[in-house]
Amino acid sequence: MAAGLAGCDNNPHPRPLHQKRADGQPWVVGYRAIGEDPRSLDPQFSYDTLGNAIIGQLYESLLQYSPFKTNPYELEPCLADGMPRRIENADGSVDYEIRIKKGIYFHNDPCFPGGKGRELKSSDFVYTFQRIADPAVECPVLSTLQEFIRGLGEAYQEARKAGAFDYSKPTGALTVEDDYSFRLHLLKPYPQIQFWLAMAFTTPVPREAVEFYNGKNGREQFKFHPVGTGPYRLDEWARGRLIRLARHERYSATRFPEGGWPETVAATCQPLAGAALPLVDEVQFQVIREAIPAWLLFRQGYLDRSGVGKDVFNSVITAGQTLSEAFKKRGVQLFKDVGPGTFYSQLNMDDPLLGQNQKLRQALSTVYNQTKANEVFGNGIDIKAEQLLPPGVVGFEPDFKNPFRTENVEQARKLIAEAGYPDGINPQTGKPLEITLDVVAGNAESRQRAEFDQMQYEQLGVRIKINENTWSRFQETQLRGLFQMNSGSGWNADYPDPENFFFLFYSKNVPPQGSNYTRFHNEEFDQLFERMATLDNGPERLSVIQRMNAILVEQCPVILTFYPVSFTLSQPWAPRITDNAMLVTGKYTVIYPELREHKIREWNRTPLWPIALLVVGGVAVAVYAVRRARRSIL
Amino acid sequence: MPVWLNNLLLLAGCGVLVALVRGFLFTERSHRALNRLRRDRVGLLCAAMVVLFLLAGLADCVLVNPRQSVLDYAFRNVPREEGYSAPLARTTYSERGAKPLRGWHLMGTDLLGKDVLLQTLKGCRTALIIGGLTSAIYLPLGTLLGILGGYFRGWVDDAVQYLFSTMASIPGILLLVAVMMTLGKGLDRMAIALSLTAWIGLCRLVRGETFRQAAKPYVDAARALGQSQSKIILRHILPNVMHLVIINAILGFSGLVLTETILSYLGVGAPVGTASWGTMIDTARMELSREPAVWWPLASASITLFMLVLSLNLLGDSLRRAFDPKAA
Repeated sequence: MAAGLAGCDNNPHPRPLHQKRADGQPWVVGYRAIGEDPRSLDPQFSYDTLGNAIIGQLYESLLQYSPFKTNPYELEPCLADGMPRRIENADGSVDYEIRIKKGIYFHNDPCFPGGKGRELKSSDFVYTFQRIADPAVECPVLSTLQEFIRGLGEAYQEARKAGAFDYSKPTGALTVEDDYSFRLHLLKPYPQIQFWLAMAFTTPVPREAVEFYNGKNGREQFKFHPVGTGPYRLDEWARGRLIRLARHERYSATRFPEGGWPETVAATCQPLAGAALPLVDEVQFQVIREAIPAWLLFRQGYLDRSGVGKDVFNSVITAGQTLSEAFKKRGVQLFKDVGPGTFYSQLNMDDPLLGQNQKLRQALSTVYNQTKANEVFGNGIDIKAEQLLPPGVVGFEPDFKNPFRTENVEQARKLIAEAGYPDGINPQTGKPLEITLDVVAGNAESRQRAEFDQMQYEQLGVRIKINENTWSRFQETQLRGLFQMNSGSGWNADYPDPENFFFLFYSKNVPPQGSNYTRFHNEEFDQLFERMATLDNGPERLSVIQRMNAILVEQCPVILTFYPVSFTLSQPWAPRITDNAMLVTGKYTVIYPELREHKIREWNRTPLWPIALLVVGGVAVAVYAVRRARRSIL
Repeated sequence: MPVWLNNLLLLAGCGVLVALVRGFLFTERSHRALNRLRRDRVGLLCAAMVVLFLLAGLADCVLVNPRQSVLDYAFRNVPREEGYSAPLARTTYSERGAKPLRGWHLMGTDLLGKDVLLQTLKGCRTALIIGGLTSAIYLPLGTLLGILGGYFRGWVDDAVQYLFSTMASIPGILLLVAVMMTLGKGLDRMAIALSLTAWIGLCRLVRGETFRQAAKPYVDAARALGQSQSKIILRHILPNVMHLVIINAILGFSGLVLTETILSYLGVGAPVGTASWGTMIDTARMELSREPAVWWPLASASITLFMLVLSLNLLGDSLRRAFDPKAA
């Protein structure tokens, strides 16, 4: 038992792969928590935040967001050798000439001859764009890309007809010039294409890996066995427990920036200027489903970063939204980030009641008290949304006041009376108007939110019927338009451009073609959207954006709720050097392992009094037992 | 449903229940048992507690207008607050800007500022509906199948046995969760789901008792007099197994309330906006880990649930003793 107890400690992590690097330096490990396993690590398919967080470590794109430029966000080359060169053709089409860096290698993997990753070539990008058009891959952004990239739509249709994609036939999207350069052909001007070249969908994947990991003969599927050019390779994926990434031995695409860092992190960045990446050798993502265990591990020092959950908020954050003294003393750092996203409740424009009655939609939008919702559910940190575009995105107007988000109950009651339902009563039936609100009710908090929403809208006199859904059922109702009104929807920017938000209301994006779940259809909006998509940023584009925003405000296809704000805590040994929310890679992460070791020891001192108490108690019992035994012998 | 129709249906339901109970009490055996029960103080106290819970539940079923029950009306002067407030506190429970309360709350308020005592009392309605509606489905089903199997024996008994053995082999909670996921949320649907598993125990008991009763001379005498099988079952067998049904109904009621609580705790029980002790306990999971902790919704729901279940179990024991012929 003593031996067993001696083997116990608090450390929940498996042993690192190595203790020292080849150069004798300590092997640095990063410890992170994720709530569940990602569904897929196929970059051409995965479209969720969790999947993207892992894919961002394993794969890299032609371009990446500059780590220190966030206002506005700026792109810089990653796999590309310089920024793409735009060439305007006489027929109105546009080409981008792209050169890729030499000496970029895929991860070592058994799918390659001899298990050695080969060099990245232009042909890998041809294959990647073929995968985007392959119906079997189910790339979720094909509908958008095929509007602009030559040949993708046709290749997709041909493959559907034939029943399989013919990879021997070029799509026409790319023309290879040599092993390190190619041209991307666009049907029309589309400046936002550069953002797409920084997204996971366009990251190169090796054909050998996709064909080798086909789920047959005991081999995994490619989506569970990623092979890329990113700073990390997948070393281990124990489902439901751990994802372990190890440094890509031959990574060379980028190095630590030589300058340009903000003053606040200059002391940390200065010694790292020009250093090889990644800075951390191994990253362990622990799958921890519940928030409280993850928080306790962070407090013990076994996780490098943590969010601040609603339940522990008051003990961590003060009324002035600064870090509490207890955490300051520990050296923990607090970061407040406004994510490039917007949350809202959706109104189905195909619904005969809500879709036809603009005043009713405006009344519902006006009455909803987001300020109170933020207080009750968000500890007052989220920012009330007045327009679709969030802060940081071109077109966001800080002083804009939405006339239908005033939270004024009297104004809302007037609007519902003008809508033909005074006091929320349907004059035809004499009964309160009934509206069904679809929600995801997976836990106690989501049920409380639903009840809160119900209370808000019922101030108008209408009756709100809650329809509880699982997440997948909720998504299905959105896809098939089987809802009247729903809450809890939102959009996090794929790229910081208004097009990435307005496309949610473009009529050609009604499911299954896209994500226009409200089924919003407005001819003027559509025309403006098509125009805006082809314009470069400037006064003309800005005026188009403002008009589109005005249409959405007036029409109210959604009830805007909030821009998510998150608090992140960083341990003293893991200083955060970039707050760029668009950058998902962890290659710039800095960790000081000696400090971590020291702090963990300090924070997890084993109290000795229980052992002393046990020993004293044990001795007392033993003495008593011996005495009693002696007495009985006598 | 209009207010008058709701109240009329409720009245009719209570009338039928009272008539059934009265009909049962007029048998000689029941009369003797009741006399014995009158001397059992614990049993009487528990019966009184159960009646109180039933009255609270009924008070939330009877409507005074489309949006208010009698219970809501009684609490009409208890205002809704801005958020959490501790029992008997004067301000909201917040370290960041506590606000003065508009009213007085014996058991405090919850996240949405609702009075916890009112929510706890409203939980009685959920318990009553689940217990009552499920009993209304499973008691006749279990009794009928049990009597049919025990009386006719042969292939009928084989079929009944096959049915309850199959149902009993499926893990109860998993079956309930699966049925609830299929049917969707709602108290009526939960009652149907609970009925699917609740009848098995009663059916087994009644089947065994029917075996015993069917072998007795009074049944042979009834047959010899040429009475039809349906008359023998309804007039002779059924009254003699009813005591088992009553005891099972009382004990089963507490089991149903607990199961509802478990299902609500798992998130597949009471729908949003329906007060339920299970939902309150589920919410408390988060509330207890808050800093500072919010304990009063959990305490209120747990104590009430405990008292109801304990009262029902003790009352069930008292009834069993009262009906036991050996105790005479």
